[in-house]
Amino acid sequence: MVKVYRSTVLNAPADRVWRDLRDFNGLANWHPLIVLSRIEKGHPADKVGCVRVIQHKDGAQVREKLLSLSDYDYACISAIIDSPMALRDYIATLRLFPVTEGNRCFIEWSAEFDCPPEKVAELTETVSGGMIQIGLDALKKRYGQL
Amino acid sequence: MKINVIQSAVIDAPIDRVWAVLRDFNSHDRWHPAVARSRMENDVAGDVVGGVRRFSLSDGAEQREQLLSHSDRDYTYTYCILDSPLPLFDYKATVRLKPVTDGNRTFWDWRSQFRAPDDRAAELENLVGRQVCVAGFGGLRTFLADQAAPPRPPFPEAAAAVPATAGGEHLPSRAVVVATAGGPEAMSLTDVTISAPGPEQVRIRQTAIAVNYLDLKHCRGVVAGFDFPGTPGMEGVGQIIDVGQQVNGLFPGDRVAYISRTPGAYADIRCIEADACMPLPDGVSDQDASTLLKGITAALLLGRVFRAAPGATIMIQAVAGGLGHLLSQWAKSMDLTVLGTVSTAAKAKFSRDCGCDYPIVVAEDNPLAADVMRITNGRGVNYWVQSSGALGLDTAVACLSRCGHCAVIGDRNGQPIPIDVNVLQQRSLTVSAPVCFDYFDDRPYLQRLVHQLFAKIQNRVIIPAIEAFPLSQATEAHHRIETRQTMGAVVLTPGV
Repeated sequence: MVKVYRSTVLNAPADRVWRDLRDFNGLANWHPLIVLSRIEKGHPADKVGCVRVIQHKDGAQVREKLLSLSDYDYACISAIIDSPMALRDYIATLRLFPVTEGNRCFIEWSAEFDCPPEKVAELTETVSGGMIQIGLDALKKRYGQL
Repeated sequence: MKINVIQSAVIDAPIDRVWAVLRDFNSHDRWHPAVARSRMENDVAGDVVGGVRRFSLSDGAEQREQLLSHSDRDYTYTYCILDSPLPLFDYKATVRLKPVTDGNRTFWDWRSQFRAPDDRAAELENLVGRQVCVAGFGGLRTFLADQAAPPRPPFPEAAAAVPATAGGEHLPSRAVVVATAGGPEAMSLTDVTISAPGPEQVRIRQTAIAVNYLDLKHCRGVVAGFDFPGTPGMEGVGQIIDVGQQVNGLFPGDRVAYISRTPGAYADIRCIEADACMPLPDGVSDQDASTLLKGITAALLLGRVFRAAPGATIMIQAVAGGLGHLLSQWAKSMDLTVLGTVSTAAKAKFSRDCGCDYPIVVAEDNPLAADVMRITNGRGVNYWVQSSGALGLDTAVACLSRCGHCAVIGDRNGQPIPIDVNVLQQRSLTVSAPVCFDYFDDRPYLQRLVHQLFAKIQNRVIIPAIEAFPLSQATEAHHRIETRQTMGAVVLTPGV
């Protein structure tokens, strides 16, 4: 099992950031690597169990299922169900915590998955340094520098 | 009214550095501005789940809080308030850290839930949020900035002590050998070879060797238990090099202390029965751990031989000595009033630093009994720890208050002990002559005493004073003890 974890501090209140992040169909609005997103079968994006299809800049399509969404905990958990990447049992968790000091928020984004041993280094970099870190950097920019 | 308080901040330090401070439930008096003093009840360590800390707040009030859960894996702990001067009811709080990978910083979330009377809800919500949490954030930032280096890095001495290529059949070592009975000059340092440990033994590269008064008597041949030629020493600390085939639960690299009836500690490397070894916790240095026998003897004297109530008086003979200075600190932590005898003014000053309220400089023309009676307003002391054997025992008995106790430890100086039971009966006095090894055969009890001692050292309730000599100067160390020139515990440092 590979586990990756990245976190940062965003210069906006948790409620404000959560408005954007709770939209399971909204990744393309703010993530530079994602160009398209749609929810299968016309379900609302906050229906737990719904599936989104997201398309990467390079054309790859990934299907992800919403496993858990908590407005109380500012948390969203999803799993990859179809992907061209050689990974299995991929589960990602995105979560916000208010930083009361300065009215900002702390965001953590973690993922765990299985993959062939020879792919660990490459996929860790793709997920952690690519998808997650580029996403966090985009959010930092979106809500303004500290 | 039910109240939730959530406060959080980002601390500009790596999570392991922040957690190193916060994970100690007993650390608030080092960094939180509202806490003047913190100590753990029953002397448990600051990471024992269920442990109770007692705060003296900076306004003088006392508060008790209990640790409910603790996780190094998740960087979190939860606690509740047991007693508070404020109407904070069902108070439960959780501290949780998370790493901010962006910039190697730390997110600190501190949330509390409690009930409070309606008319004081706003005030208490503000107090918990501002004076507990926000003040704590600031206090920790200041503490980390001031902290040039962590105060007690784990394994400071051990890390350097054992070379990577430990083990092997025979290892060169040096041992102090006493050829025939005699004074300190009878000892000589000899090159020896230490072979692999027996099936139930471990081989230890020692880092600190305790000098106990019994060692001096062994060398002089005045007590049994030592064969000539032989190597003295009953107690040491070090790192395990290798273990025998039937040894369970000890591993090469473990830091251990041991006490053994079998002499032979005055050496760089030695083999010792695995049963005698006790693993050392972080926060107890090798040198501090080498006061183990003296420390648990203090625990035995105060916890089992005679239990003095808080506020009682205790007289400790040779209060500046190895046992005396630990016994004095321990007694003080039990709120006893401590009297003690010393031989010089310098020792009197030293013993005051060790919690002795009334050091008495013993002199020929100065009758000890008169001093004791003057200090205790004629009542006498409740407990007298007599370390000079029979010598002056009549004075000790005369100075005991009603139902008082005298524990005779150490050498009887060859004299019979003159106890008249009629005298004891007049004031319901008791006298005991405990020999610590008889108690320490009870392993669970010994283990409890060791935990108590280490917790007191970790919590800085007891700070051993150490006078260290290189192993090559064992003669000098014994000489200085015999001529009463040392203060605190004497330790030999192997390797030099």
